[in-house]
Amino acid sequence: MNRRTKTVLAAALAGVLLVGTAGAAFAFQADAAASLRASGQVGEQADGYLGVVGSAPAGVRAQVDSVNIKRRAYYTDLAAKRGAKIEEVAATTACELLRTKVAPGQFYRGTDGTWQKRDGSPVPLPAYCG
Amino acid sequence: MTSPILTRLRPSATQGAMRRAKLLLLAPALVSTAGCVQVSAPDKPIEINLNINIRQEVVVRLQEDVRDLIEKNPGVF
Repeated sequence: MNRRTKTVLAAALAGVLLVGTAGAAFAFQADAAASLRASGQVGEQADGYLGVVGSAPAGVRAQVDSVNIKRRAYYTDLAAKRGAKIEEVAATTACELLRTKVAPGQFYRGTDGTWQKRDGSPVPLPAYCG
Repeated sequence: MTSPILTRLRPSATQGAMRRAKLLLLAPALVSTAGCVQVSAPDKPIEINLNINIRQEVVVRLQEDVRDLIEKNPGVF
């Protein structure tokens, strides 16, 4: 095997590894927020972002940050389109997420700042949610 | 024969001491700049603020767009 062949093989291997990693990352993204909520370590907040319940491992916190950065980008985009504030879009989204995405046994954080575990009844919504 | 060498050495020794003294004076300034950089680098990318002051009519106006946003981005919401 000469040097050139080795280089080509190494490049091919690197390519396969890259595609594999990207695939894994994509598979994670498909239901990232839902699986984080289901883990019991993460909950929905009244401000429209995910939050860490108690002390979660650094890996979980990194995933939460990654989801929140994407949310922030969507909120910013929509706020610009509708001439609203980012916080207004975020809070409106929170109303919807608290209403539809927090399953019984999962955590949410209302405007009082305390973490609550949803029981059988719906999540109590902030007054402005309507 | 040794004395000229000594006299040549002495000034440079004093300059070395001066340089060290200048460095010592600079050190607190360097430390304080490093401190500033550390303070300005946030360990969380997003500031969470739960004190939301928002009117219901704003929520109603944005609701349809927000539902659409959630539906189209299942990984993020």
